[in-house]
Amino acid sequence: MKDILRRHSVLKDEVVDIINKQVQMEAQSSAAYLAMAAWCDVRGYDNCAEFFFKQSDQEREHQMKFFKYLVDMECDAISPAVGESQHEFEKLRSVFEKALEMEIAVTDSIHDMVRLCRKVGDLATEEFLRWFVQEQIEEEYVSRRCLELFDVLGEDKIALGMIEERILDVKYDAAEG
Amino acid sequence: MSQVTSDSQQLLFETSHSSLHQCDELERYILQFKGDSIHFRACELITFKRKVQKIDLVKLLDSETPDVEIVHMPHCDRIFAFTIEDVLELKELFAGAFTMLELNSMIHRQLVRRPF
Repeated sequence: MKDILRRHSVLKDEVVDIINKQVQMEAQSSAAYLAMAAWCDVRGYDNCAEFFFKQSDQEREHQMKFFKYLVDMECDAISPAVGESQHEFEKLRSVFEKALEMEIAVTDSIHDMVRLCRKVGDLATEEFLRWFVQEQIEEEYVSRRCLELFDVLGEDKIALGMIEERILDVKYDAAEG
Repeated sequence: MSQVTSDSQQLLFETSHSSLHQCDELERYILQFKGDSIHFRACELITFKRKVQKIDLVKLLDSETPDVEIVHMPHCDRIFAFTIEDVLELKELFAGAFTMLELNSMIHRQLVRRPF
């Protein structure tokens, strides 16, 4: 008897489920960053808005990487329903605090996926996730550095202006050193 | 219970009112259920299995709600109204059939695909 199931279905059910949940999480993050960008934009923080628009695009790219992986593996990729995002923030610092919280949640989720892959012996998906593990190191670093600008410069009008000037220069380059 | 018989079709599992066969020639699975014969590709079968697995039996048993579950199968453009007994039977069928398919995959991995 042919092994038809193996020919057409590569991933285990629990791996498909967790990747679909991640697709949903990335979509939610993308939407949340859009809301942050809008908050910044209408208050004149143009560079911060641009920073969050880029973050939103990145999350969408991550979502599509997961989505295409499922499709490539001939598994059910579920186009996610996205819930309400937070649109109101107390101040600029609160926006960046929320961004860091989101990135930490995504990191935890990616690590849970790796742990599941190890548990069920899915070496291919574990390898696929390696890029995301590295990416989250970068994402968390950038979010943390942005928040540190507030600690270093303060939150008065001049400080916020300086943060606005510097925000697009925050990059992760530790690996090159 | 099944009338599906052919050299290229092999019984994976059967219950009192249902059966699932694999057809090597067509690379399809054939579900016999309530007198119907439905062909599935592998991905369609997995989708259908997941739909059945997700049916909440406790909710179905709740007298406040109708005790049937409507399941659409777009690949063959059919809609089924499953009773609690139907759902239990399908869950049992898929549990048994997928155990057999996993076993077949293990045999292929250990004996058929090994070069030495």
